[in-house]
Amino acid sequence: MFPTLKTGAVMQYPGKRILQFSTDVVRFLDGTEQRYREYASVLHRWTIKLDLLDESELAAYDQFFISNQGSFGSFSFTDPWDGTVYANCSLATDTFKFEVTGEMRGATTVTICENRT
Amino acid sequence: MLYFPQLSSGAAGQFPIQKKRTARTLVNQSVQDYEIKLADPGAATTEWQISFAELNDQELAALETLFAATEGRLTSFTFVDPTDNLLAWSQEQNQAVWQADPLLTLTANIADPMGGTGAFQVTNAGLATQILQQSIAAPASLEYCLSVYARSNQSMQVWLMRGPETNASTISPEWTRLTSAGQQSSGNDSISFGVAAAGLTTAFFIPPEVRSNPSLFIDGVHKAFLVLGGFTVISTVVFWRLRQGDGDTIGHDVDSSAYVWTSG
Repeated sequence: MFPTLKTGAVMQYPGKRILQFSTDVVRFLDGTEQRYREYASVLHRWTIKLDLLDESELAAYDQFFISNQGSFGSFSFTDPWDGTVYANCSLATDTFKFEVTGEMRGATTVTICENRT
Repeated sequence: MLYFPQLSSGAAGQFPIQKKRTARTLVNQSVQDYEIKLADPGAATTEWQISFAELNDQELAALETLFAATEGRLTSFTFVDPTDNLLAWSQEQNQAVWQADPLLTLTANIADPMGGTGAFQVTNAGLATQILQQSIAAPASLEYCLSVYARSNQSMQVWLMRGPETNASTISPEWTRLTSAGQQSSGNDSISFGVAAAGLTTAFFIPPEVRSNPSLFIDGVHKAFLVLGGFTVISTVVFWRLRQGDGDTIGHDVDSSAYVWTSG
């Protein structure tokens, strides 16, 4: 499970959610187009920007990254916008970076992407 | 053993500190976005960026000495992660890294003071003092802070062990945070941390008619038990204003206010 903050929240403002389709467009000489759907369904992606984290919260994200071996592992993620559970998600990158600028002032950004099932 | 020096305050770094973990995943991706992934754990790295300001002469000399000893990026050294709990498996005391004396009984999943179940129970059924400890491969001469939350059903004494030093504390039914901090003069390349509980000879906490054994609850969550982090090694020192391409030389500007250290 993706870690939550001590407040129980999954993310902080500003939240960012991306819906992604993939469309192949064949354009003919007369200007008309024929479009093909390359994805069977939409894919979701969330960018979670977190600030003012304490050590235990940072440690939870750090451990989550290690457990997943970066983008290799998959996990269930509940969309904080609508509560939909996406059972097959992964971290989007193989890098996890955080910065601590003071006591209880940790910051990091995590991007989650939905995998094609 | 070469190791990254601490400041005269005992701190390993100053704010801000950046830490970056990098993994490597091989991905075979289809047009339809189906993916086949293969993890490559051997390629994982950890990198810290630590800025230093207002160092005194000794602190700067210690960094320069290390840089000279490692010959830049050539030689590895031990780095004690200032952002992490140095003890491994602090929530799972049945792991092999923990050394428990034979008469200790450990019970996990006990309610902790944070509302979870990260605490564990240690029962000493013997007559002698028994120890639960963990050793880490880090210089014993550095400054460490060991801390735990502890409580017992009745007032009793426990000892925090930090290398050869022991600090006695009395605990009660209320959760209490115990700490033991300091520096050793030892030149050992490893140091042990742990907690010791007296045996049943101290009948004070084990009245025979009481059903529950005298127990010691130790919170495994807290950062206290410092030790063993990812001593994932090391390599280069780069000074901010005098960034060296290959890190094979070093210099410093006395007016420079910040330095950057990277390793990975």
